[in-house]
Amino acid sequence: MNKLSRFGYMAFFLVVLVLPALLDSRWLTVGTTFLIFSVVALSEDIVLGKAGMFNMGHALFFGLGAYTTAILNANFGWPILATLPLAVIIPMIFGVLIAGPIVHLRGDYLLVTTIGFNIVFVQAVQNDLLGITGGPNGIFSLDSMNVFGKALDSPTAIYYFAFVVLILTLWVMRNLETSKAGRALHYLREDHIAAESIGINTRVYKIFAFALGSGLAGLAGSVYAVQYAAVSPEAFNFMQSVLFFSIIIVGGSSIPGVLIGVLVMFVLPEVFREFATWRYFIFGFAMILAMILRPRGIWPAKFGRIPKYLTGGAENG
Amino acid sequence: MDIFLQQLVNGLTIGSMFALVALGYTMVYGVMKLINFAHGDLVAASAFVGLTVYTEIMGGTASLTAILVIFALTVVVIAAVGVILERVAYRPLRTAPRLSAVVSALGASLVIQNGIMLIWGPRMRVFPGDLIPAVTWNVGGVVISLIQLLILVLSCVLMVALYFFVDKTRIGAAIRASSIDQDAAKLMGINVNRIIMVIFIIGSSLGAIGGLFIGLYYRGITFNMGWQYGLYAFVAAILGGIGNIPGAMLGGLLLGLFNAFISGYVSSTWADAFTFIMLIGILVIRPTGILGERVAEKV
Repeated sequence: MNKLSRFGYMAFFLVVLVLPALLDSRWLTVGTTFLIFSVVALSEDIVLGKAGMFNMGHALFFGLGAYTTAILNANFGWPILATLPLAVIIPMIFGVLIAGPIVHLRGDYLLVTTIGFNIVFVQAVQNDLLGITGGPNGIFSLDSMNVFGKALDSPTAIYYFAFVVLILTLWVMRNLETSKAGRALHYLREDHIAAESIGINTRVYKIFAFALGSGLAGLAGSVYAVQYAAVSPEAFNFMQSVLFFSIIIVGGSSIPGVLIGVLVMFVLPEVFREFATWRYFIFGFAMILAMILRPRGIWPAKFGRIPKYLTGGAENG
Repeated sequence: MDIFLQQLVNGLTIGSMFALVALGYTMVYGVMKLINFAHGDLVAASAFVGLTVYTEIMGGTASLTAILVIFALTVVVIAAVGVILERVAYRPLRTAPRLSAVVSALGASLVIQNGIMLIWGPRMRVFPGDLIPAVTWNVGGVVISLIQLLILVLSCVLMVALYFFVDKTRIGAAIRASSIDQDAAKLMGINVNRIIMVIFIIGSSLGAIGGLFIGLYYRGITFNMGWQYGLYAFVAAILGGIGNIPGAMLGGLLLGLFNAFISGYVSSTWADAFTFIMLIGILVIRPTGILGERVAEKV
């Protein structure tokens, strides 16, 4: 990490730390959701950006985490904190089970199967599968979270909790980038046949990327359930997956890129809420323009020191 | 048995609408390798344009001329929008990474969808029921309406015409060449930009007809219905093997039939889930769709 980026992270953490003192309650909600969506977007980046698999169903894992927490709390009386490990493990298991049979599919076919799984999930939840998901209304009035006997029930406390989860995610992302697995994913994305020929087990690493991504997304889902003390199916539908997908492509597959992506794709539309009817019309044009001006995203990824003549033209993402 | 035959007729009707829309996805994909996410919204726009042509230009009176004018004007308008869409949102991204064009398509979809809402408002509009005479026939217990017959016959004619156009004409050969290898096609003197324009004209026109059918058949139209029908049509294209024209037709019909039988025999609240489970199942067995070719990967 060079000086400039260290300074950048410090500034970002500082701003996030002092922000609750300056925001009113509506903007504090937006702030908390920004932190949660950043975690989901970073986890989507592992699958889409790092491993290069076209995943357009990431809201599924986000929702699985949220519903795990909500069901265990509302139906079985578990304290929220105790549901957190399962809210990571269950989406992870589903991630492996879902990815297993489909990772060999080529780009767009993978994209449509992940959309499919997302739609199956939402419809199952809406139809009150097993009688525990609350149907189309979802599950509400969850308990507040207790940490060492203290209730984290103020919006500010939940904001900082989301911040802790984001820091944890950033730590995972940083370690991933400099680890063997991270390099494997990078080679896999650039050219999976070449990766296979130098002994990388591409299938295992593809499933690994899905597992890690879905586990982190599940954790974020759990925080999301805590924030609203409720879950409902629409929050995890396929449009939400499209949002996470676009965040990565618009922002670029790097940590600053993903954070900028969330800012542009989620916070900016909130800022322009007054223009209710015109907002998404103009937003659509902005998406087109952003892609024309920055086809690789606002802040594209840089990986290691690969000479220009090796990367030039070898674009398959 | 009556239910079976009835659902067969309903399924074929829905399926041919899916197929018409799916052709737009598959033709664009074939040449540009791009999922045109805005196509579904063009379909939705077409229903609204058709309704406006009927009430504003034809004065709201039903006749054969009215129907012909509606179809002709709507197709021209939507084809023009399709061509503009390609110029503005896709052409500048021809050499960019593939997913940037996908996000540009998603942006274009937002623009069209919200454009419809700004022009026609967020509420549901209803197609007049008497635009096509509400004649029904009872063939051995199976009820077929004039509208279903029209949709079936017209879709069939259009698809056969398209098949021969792509298979037998010079422009068709150029389309096939561009979809196999754009650079080689350019070297053979094919103007790929013009071919892409032709593709958007054909795809959008078929989508426009599909949109009018949706309006005439279901009657209620909303500004955001493009995603719903578009997604189904896209699934149909994938099912048949995206990029493959007969595949899109087959995929559309299969999807329509499957959907009708699930709604008829199992439950309509689970129809989407079953449809996608079937799609995933087929893709796991045949990774490039039913008629898709197995492409050897180049090293």
